[in-house]
Amino acid sequence: MSLFETLSVSASGMSAQRARTELLAQNIANSETTRTPEGGPYRRQDAVFETAPVAQPFGSVFSAALETETPGVRVSEVLYDDKEPIRRYLPGHPDADEKGYVAFPNFSPIEEMVDLMNASRSFNANITAASAVKDMISRSIDLLRS
Amino acid sequence: MVDPIQSGMAQYLDLLAARQKIVASNIANAETPGYHSKDIDFQFEFQSLASTYGPRAEPHVMETPGLKERNDGNNVSMDREMRLLSENALRFQFVTQMMRNQVGQYRKALQSSRG
Repeated sequence: MSLFETLSVSASGMSAQRARTELLAQNIANSETTRTPEGGPYRRQDAVFETAPVAQPFGSVFSAALETETPGVRVSEVLYDDKEPIRRYLPGHPDADEKGYVAFPNFSPIEEMVDLMNASRSFNANITAASAVKDMISRSIDLLRS
Repeated sequence: MVDPIQSGMAQYLDLLAARQKIVASNIANAETPGYHSKDIDFQFEFQSLASTYGPRAEPHVMETPGLKERNDGNNVSMDREMRLLSENALRFQFVTQMMRNQVGQYRKALQSSRG
């Protein structure tokens, strides 16, 4: 049924925004991290979204093939920021190079906070859509009850 | 369905559900690069549904005209989608309420015939 699939579309939006929020929180948490398994300071990560067909709740592949394409969303890839790290003069730091400079992540709190705000608003928009659809479903069920 | 008005209302509800799905999809993809907002021509689809009998055709989905594209190639207008979302929900509520009232009237008529 179409309305239940609509819920899946909103759910895909919510999980994509949640994945993005996790990356942003990771960026903020690692704003001073100078060691990573790949070597060098932490690099900022961000999610790229792409449209994706939603999973059918009841595996109704045949009806899905007949229906018009209304895609959900998913995270297609996670990109690493290629900004140069910031070099700070800290000669006593264990990760300092021979000149006494330490490479720190190029962290911009404003950028992260704006992105975070954006992600949380988009998450809320998807919740609003899902609750509107939920209301429509419960009203359809009420028709049986009258 | 009991009468043509009710079957018309059922088709209207189906169309609203289809449109709501498109709106939800637009909202989910509000930040997908290159995504273009989609919609159906509601008046046209409803008229063509009402005038045809037999199996129903799926509504024709098209890109919404006249929206400004942002730098990432996305043109979803959140205000527009939110307005459509509540509009569809209210229309749905209105028609389901009408259907309930109608069923209530049938029930009353049946009860009064029983005496």
